Amino acid sequence: MTDESPADGRGAAPRSWPVGLTAVAVLSGWLFPGLGHIVLGRVRRGIFFAVLVLGSFALGMAHEGRLALRDERGAPILSALQVVANAGVGLPDLAARVGVYGEVAYALPGDPREAAYGERLRILRDRTKSIASIYGTAYLWTAGLMNLLLLFDLWDIGRGRKC
Amino acid sequence: MGSHFVHLILFSAIVAAFFGALLRRRASEQARLGATIWVAMVGGTLALAYLMYPFPN
Repeated sequence: MTDESPADGRGAAPRSWPVGLTAVAVLSGWLFPGLGHIVLGRVRRGIFFAVLVLGSFALGMAHEGRLALRDERGAPILSALQVVANAGVGLPDLAARVGVYGEVAYALPGDPREAAYGERLRILRDRTKSIASIYGTAYLWTAGLMNLLLLFDLWDIGRGRKC
Repeated sequence: MGSHFVHLILFSAIVAAFFGALLRRRASEQARLGATIWVAMVGGTLALAYLMYPFPN
């Protein structure tokens, strides 16, 4: 699947990268799935993971998965964890929120009398009304959580703990 | 794409391929681990569904 070529480091001892570059790779990997591995020279691995994470994300969006909003009045911790799972994909999640909510929205306003509160809640409920939405939510959160796991992989590669 | 079974197959394939590639280095090992995870997910789900069949409610 992602067997590395000699140029990618197969057969070589693990190589460590400067902390700064590793941090850039981790940030890039969060912002765009697979990009961090490409920054560290693991091109095929990066492309493979990008296809998996973005494929799962696309399936989630196609099935009207839940783009969670933090709700401090309802279940603040649970809704925050849902937002973290969504936001793990980075920029694609942000773009999807702009497309769905018409703005960068990660939370419901604290005051339910605000117009944005009702509007965001309506969009969220309309979107999750479909039966397929539960599948979409599973794909979306899986994409985000997979990408967050990849950040640990990037750190290990950058610090020479993994080839 | 409304079938539970299609989503089970597809979701398991994505997760299996991901962990196979993440946790193993050589392609043959990645394929073996991925296949094991896929069979465990699909087989486990079907086995659980079979066990629950007598208790529909």
